[in-house]
Amino acid sequence: MKNDEDVYGDHISHQFNEDLAGLKEDFLRMGGMVEQQVVDAIDALIEGDGHRADEIRARDKQVDQLELEIDEEATRIIARRQPAARDLRLVLSVIKMVADLERIGDEAKKIAKFALSLSEEGKAPRGYVETRHIGNHVSQMLRDSLDAFARLDSELALRIMKEDKRVDEEYQAATRTLVTFMMEDPRNITRCMSVMWVLRALERVGDHSCNIAEHVIFMAKGEDVRHTPMEEAEKVVSN
Amino acid sequence: MNTMNSAIDQDVPVKDEPETRGGATFNDAELEGRTVGKPFADDPKFTLRDVEVFYGDARAIKGISLDIAKNEVIAFIGPSGCGKSTFLRCLNRMNDSIDICRVKGQLQLDGEDIYDAKRDVVELRARVGMVFQKPNPFPKSIYDNVAYGPRIHGLANRKSDLDDIVERSLRGAGLWNEVKDRLDSPGTGLSGGQQQRLCIARAIAVSPEVVLMDEPCSALDPIATARIEELIAELSQSYTIIIVTHSMQQAARVSDRTAYFHLGHLVEVNETNKVFTAPQHELTESYITGRFG
Amino acid sequence: MSNHEQAALVRQSLKRRYRKERRFRFYGILAIAIALAALVTLFADIIGKGYTGFIKTTMTLEVRFDPKTMYLEDATDKDAFSMADFKAPLLAALHDVVPEAGDSDDRDLGHLLSSYAANKVRDTLEADPSLLGKTQTMTFLVSDDVSVYVKHADDPNYSIQLSEKQQGWVDQLQERGIIQNSFNDVFFQNGDSRDPGHAGVLGAIVGSVLTMVVTLLLSFPIGVAAAIYLEEFAPQNKFTDFIEVNINNLAAVPSIIFGLLGLAVFINLFGLPRSVPLVGGLVLTLMTLPTIIISSRAAIKSVPPSIREAAEGIGASKMQVVLHHVLPLALPGMLTGSIIGMAQALGETAPLLLIGMVAFIVDVPSGFVDAATVLPVQIFLWAGSPELAFIERASAAIMVLLTFLIGMNALAIWLRRRLERRW
Repeated sequence: MKNDEDVYGDHISHQFNEDLAGLKEDFLRMGGMVEQQVVDAIDALIEGDGHRADEIRARDKQVDQLELEIDEEATRIIARRQPAARDLRLVLSVIKMVADLERIGDEAKKIAKFALSLSEEGKAPRGYVETRHIGNHVSQMLRDSLDAFARLDSELALRIMKEDKRVDEEYQAATRTLVTFMMEDPRNITRCMSVMWVLRALERVGDHSCNIAEHVIFMAKGEDVRHTPMEEAEKVVSN
Repeated sequence: MNTMNSAIDQDVPVKDEPETRGGATFNDAELEGRTVGKPFADDPKFTLRDVEVFYGDARAIKGISLDIAKNEVIAFIGPSGCGKSTFLRCLNRMNDSIDICRVKGQLQLDGEDIYDAKRDVVELRARVGMVFQKPNPFPKSIYDNVAYGPRIHGLANRKSDLDDIVERSLRGAGLWNEVKDRLDSPGTGLSGGQQQRLCIARAIAVSPEVVLMDEPCSALDPIATARIEELIAELSQSYTIIIVTHSMQQAARVSDRTAYFHLGHLVEVNETNKVFTAPQHELTESYITGRFG
Repeated sequence: MSNHEQAALVRQSLKRRYRKERRFRFYGILAIAIALAALVTLFADIIGKGYTGFIKTTMTLEVRFDPKTMYLEDATDKDAFSMADFKAPLLAALHDVVPEAGDSDDRDLGHLLSSYAANKVRDTLEADPSLLGKTQTMTFLVSDDVSVYVKHADDPNYSIQLSEKQQGWVDQLQERGIIQNSFNDVFFQNGDSRDPGHAGVLGAIVGSVLTMVVTLLLSFPIGVAAAIYLEEFAPQNKFTDFIEVNINNLAAVPSIIFGLLGLAVFINLFGLPRSVPLVGGLVLTLMTLPTIIISSRAAIKSVPPSIREAAEGIGASKMQVVLHHVLPLALPGMLTGSIIGMAQALGETAPLLLIGMVAFIVDVPSGFVDAATVLPVQIFLWAGSPELAFIERASAAIMVLLTFLIGMNALAIWLRRRLERRW
């Protein structure tokens, strides 16, 4: 398989090329938007910026709108072009990945909600370091998965799948720390719980990024690596 | 002598340059004998090894090895001039009537050589029937069209036997209800789709084991095409069906396996699902996604 | 260039194109008109000259078989019969209807009747000896000169050979209804004759039919078989190419060459008799074969390959494909080609002259090895004959020949319509 940029061009039908390029572009635009939402939400939480949190919640509407548009575009391509092989895999994957992006957007909105309540109630005493750390980690994963999609880079996608394991471990460690802290001082339980929810949302962002990475492998290699052991996925990618 | 047969018009490679727009080009050495996917079967009806076909000095089929399993529907796809029709016609020796055409390699039906000097081509064609691109009923009545094969092969001794065969074949081709009241009217008076089903009825009247179909729907409208495709699904219960088609969607709809031909090479054979979602060869990919003509 | 300007240019060019088209159509119509005019002139000329050939002029007389003037006492006495004078009763009868003629006019009077009239009197009496001494109403053909006078008195192309006196008698007899015109059944009942009044085309028609039967029986099966072999079975090699070129060349060989061939091979080498329909048919077969082979091959070629494939696809053998499918579909074309070839042969003269079918033959042929002539040769003979009355016979024979040709062409069209099926 070629890994250069233009694997979806070169159709005899010029319009088909443009349709697929448009779909890809819109998906990346939505991805960029969602990524910004996640980064902004984490910042808003850590800085306790309620105003910024409000903006994030408002912007989620645009993300939802973009999801509808991409779905419509994909439906149109299937109905009019009957894509096959690589093109079929692109369209199918976009339809599924767009749902993942939308869920990531929802998670960002959720984080913004907690940022707002924390900014009103006062900062939580612990957990911000972990949030910053995991937040950076998952937003990097999201960025990478979008890169992998843009470049159809299955090796990068495989690395993201492996990263997800690490995020899970970090999440486990962070929750354990917070639980210990809450046991020590029950007055902080409400605010610590908010941070716990935020961490949970970030972990979900990592999961969704991982889903996107799995779809990228399907797009590139034509093998579905969801619900398969990691060794299996490695074999597919190295083929 | 009719040297210029329609088969030549369709399938002699016109140019040697592979015409690709996207992606790399491949030369003969890179393709010959390197079929990807699953060309072999455990229980083959046809066993074909290193098949080569020459038109004069031009090599139209360049060393193809393939098994065709019992009761499977296999579709041959590929750009014009890729040799898929030529290859199909080797399977019941329809190329015999072309003087300049020579076939090399091992071609076996149930383990017996097709091109053996002692092989009776009439018997072979009774076992391997054929349906053509253009519906070509004889200018005779519907009844006589279907009854012709059984008559010349002596399959029916009595009129009632022949009647049974005609009815069974027309039912098998899904045409009985439409024509049972006018069996004496000319077969050429039917609509295009009905004519093609009449040709299928004519082919199955001699109870063949294999039915070869050479672009059977290319002259039909979508509704008639859908009927034929439905019929292929039904026929696949009892016959091995090999279909050449220009419509990739049709191959995707009707076949169990799909074989992609390119300039006389068999590039890829695999389960149809596999070929249409994740083809393994770049040329297959380019062709089925509409990247070269 | 603006759209408006372009439209104006197109309009201008349109005008030019329409003018061209009209001119072209005019030339076409002109060509057809010239052809039609030529055809009409030809037919008008032939019919104008020839229709009188279908009319005979007869004189009806009361003939008294007088034993005294005939010097015949007993009609059954063979010796006496052969010595008897059969002109006498005719003269007497003529004197009866032309009372003003004196004895010195016997010669002029006798000249009114055909020279065969006395033969008719003899034959009648021979058939019924009891008529001797009795009177019988009989109809006789008039002499050529009278016939020409009656039919063509006003035509400057014909010179009238009758004297003023004879003309007066004829006018008078015509007025009284003794000389009459009627349909010329003799023309269709007799063979050739020295006497134009008695000359007929029956011999030539029968000769033509016999020749055509031989030609058809030989050339159609041989031609079709050759075409099928060349088209379906023969291998493609230098030899078959050579044969093909030769067949095409044969079709262009002047027909007289075939006559020479027939003379050398059939008559000199095989020793077949001259002037017979069998040899004529053989020669015409040689001449027609290329036409039939070429048209049959074209008919076979025009059978769609899809039908052939269909039959082969269900396991018909080569022979079955040809017999069950190709031949029935090619037959109309083969038949029309053959009939047109036969029509050509029917009108052929030159090769037949060389094998002796140009002889003067009075008897209607009764078999393939009887001496015979054919219609076009008969026309050739009559057209070259010095007697004026033969010219109208020739034109009449041309009409008969044309009728046959048109009939054959009509048959060809009918057969094609009848047998042709769409596929």
